[in-house]
Amino acid sequence: MATTAESIAMPGASASEPEDPRDHLMLDPRPRGEMNAMVMESMHTTSKKFWGVVIFLVLTVLFALVGAWIYMIAEGMGVTGLTRPVYWGIFIVDMVFWIGISHAGTFISALLRVMKYEIRRPFTRAAELMTTFGLIQAALCIFIHLGRVWLAYWLIPYPNGRELWPNFHSPLMWDFMAITTYVIASTMYLFMPLIPDLAMARDRSTGWRKTFYRVISLGFRGTEAEWKHLKTAMNIFAFAIIPVMFSVHTVVSWDFAMSTRPGWNSTVFGPYFVIGALHSGIAAVMIVLFMIRSTMKNMKYFIRPEHFDFLGKLSLIVSMAWAYFFFNDYLVPWYGGNKFEQLLLDFHAHGPFAWVWVSMLICNIVIPWAILWNKKWRRTPWLMLVVGIVINIGMWIERFVIIPVSLTITRMPFTWRLYKPSIEIPITIGTFALFMLLYMLASRLIPLVPVWEVQEGQNAHILRKVGKVSIPSVSDVD
Amino acid sequence: MAEPLTLVVLFADIDPTVNAIDKLHEMGITDEKMDIISGIPFNQEVLGRPKLSTFIPRLAMGGAMIGLIAALFLVFGIPGLYPIRVGGQPMFPIPVFFIIAFELTMLGLMGTAFLGLFLAGRLPAYEPKMYVPEISDGKIAVVFPCPVEMQAQFEKAMLSLGAEQVRSVEAKTL
Repeated sequence: MATTAESIAMPGASASEPEDPRDHLMLDPRPRGEMNAMVMESMHTTSKKFWGVVIFLVLTVLFALVGAWIYMIAEGMGVTGLTRPVYWGIFIVDMVFWIGISHAGTFISALLRVMKYEIRRPFTRAAELMTTFGLIQAALCIFIHLGRVWLAYWLIPYPNGRELWPNFHSPLMWDFMAITTYVIASTMYLFMPLIPDLAMARDRSTGWRKTFYRVISLGFRGTEAEWKHLKTAMNIFAFAIIPVMFSVHTVVSWDFAMSTRPGWNSTVFGPYFVIGALHSGIAAVMIVLFMIRSTMKNMKYFIRPEHFDFLGKLSLIVSMAWAYFFFNDYLVPWYGGNKFEQLLLDFHAHGPFAWVWVSMLICNIVIPWAILWNKKWRRTPWLMLVVGIVINIGMWIERFVIIPVSLTITRMPFTWRLYKPSIEIPITIGTFALFMLLYMLASRLIPLVPVWEVQEGQNAHILRKVGKVSIPSVSDVD
Repeated sequence: MAEPLTLVVLFADIDPTVNAIDKLHEMGITDEKMDIISGIPFNQEVLGRPKLSTFIPRLAMGGAMIGLIAALFLVFGIPGLYPIRVGGQPMFPIPVFFIIAFELTMLGLMGTAFLGLFLAGRLPAYEPKMYVPEISDGKIAVVFPCPVEMQAQFEKAMLSLGAEQVRSVEAKTL
């Protein structure tokens, strides 16, 4: 023990300012009643500005998403920029992007829960909510891309007069199965740990809110049996949803990798897509946490610089992993010398979309690496917001490069044509607006901080004296 | 003899709660008769109470099996009903089966685990119940039936062990 104490007080450590243990949420407990009141107040407090933003988002969704989609349905897919050889455009880019965003919720909530990372506690719900709403956007993009969306039910296997059965040999069908599984599972996973907080909200509400919480909290009281069943089900989910998360983006990557197209037919696409999803997802959590912290009342107590610091470190590691996979995906075709692969790589780096390709590398590697190595910067929320936005722009661009830009170069040069999106742009803006709208409305209806999990964590933490310093210790509460 | 009351004893912390549970055992209240209600979960080991079992894992395994069977039907049954030749692949491809089998097995597993939460916890339960809202404020409640004539004795014992409140409650709609 003495050795440990000495190693903590190493020379150099004394030069820096000693960290106040109360900087850590887990070591700065407040009475549960107070935390409940803070969360309830954050849900109930709205302003004219809030409703102004909501109205703006509703209008954006109505015009940019619903209006443009109806127009597209009425006029046909010809109003999009899709044409030979680029038949998959921004709708598919958006779909892959939103599925990527959805990965962070599961990763942060489930994986960190399984690994017993205590720092996860205050922001798991914010991330889980992002998963569910991200998947809604992804599903929407698939339906938009279908064109004749009213025939979407053909994907469902049921006997019918024309003997049209889904083809389970097709990666698109695997995608349908994987995304369906993930949407259902992540929504259930969002709901389960929410039940005790809904019961808390029920105990503190009146009027229509009381009725709403009474119904959706299912009569939960917190008996030993109820907790036992809830924890058991949550444990099963935490373990089971992790491989599902990995499978979803792997299957999405197979939509591309199973073809023999240059740039797509890659065995590394599965993990490359998964790591890309985590990259954008974690960055999105940083954005969401910043928004929650800066716009919702009392959230500065729950969402602290330590959480941005943690996400920043995670993001840096994932960024390095992404760079590794990107290089892998680049090196093999470059070395292989296949003519069309070489042409595609050259088109990426020197063609009309070269600025996009370079921007991707700057956003996904250069800027995160330049900023996230520094602890002080990682603990600066607005800077993490900037990094989060930059990474998400970079990851959206990455999907743009993989899909429409890569589709431009085929083995038939006479078909080469640049993709120029048109109605896809307002629809994309509309999906972003819908995501933000859903999140804003949800923030007023459900507690974004799992108060019971925070209290459980705080109960398990103590400061332990080791030599001349106090270090945080945590007991295993599960 | 009068109907027994239901007493709710509220504690702010876990240690006095555990002492109170031991005391109630001494006073003749068995584990089956009392319930501990709290705003955060506590292990039965922490409370010194008999371990609770749940059938959710077994149900989830059953759900996983159903998912697997559904995958078998989809991947092997459907091409049998309506054959489509794809890219020289066999009609009943094993690698494809693994993908569909994985997704549906996991869906079955998680779907039934979720369902199990409702079945095992008997949720939703909107009928009147013994409850006090202070529980979600972090208080720990020990709830047990108490003969009317012994109410004062139980109250005294619980207060001496650090209870914040001892009161009788009636079931009410939450």
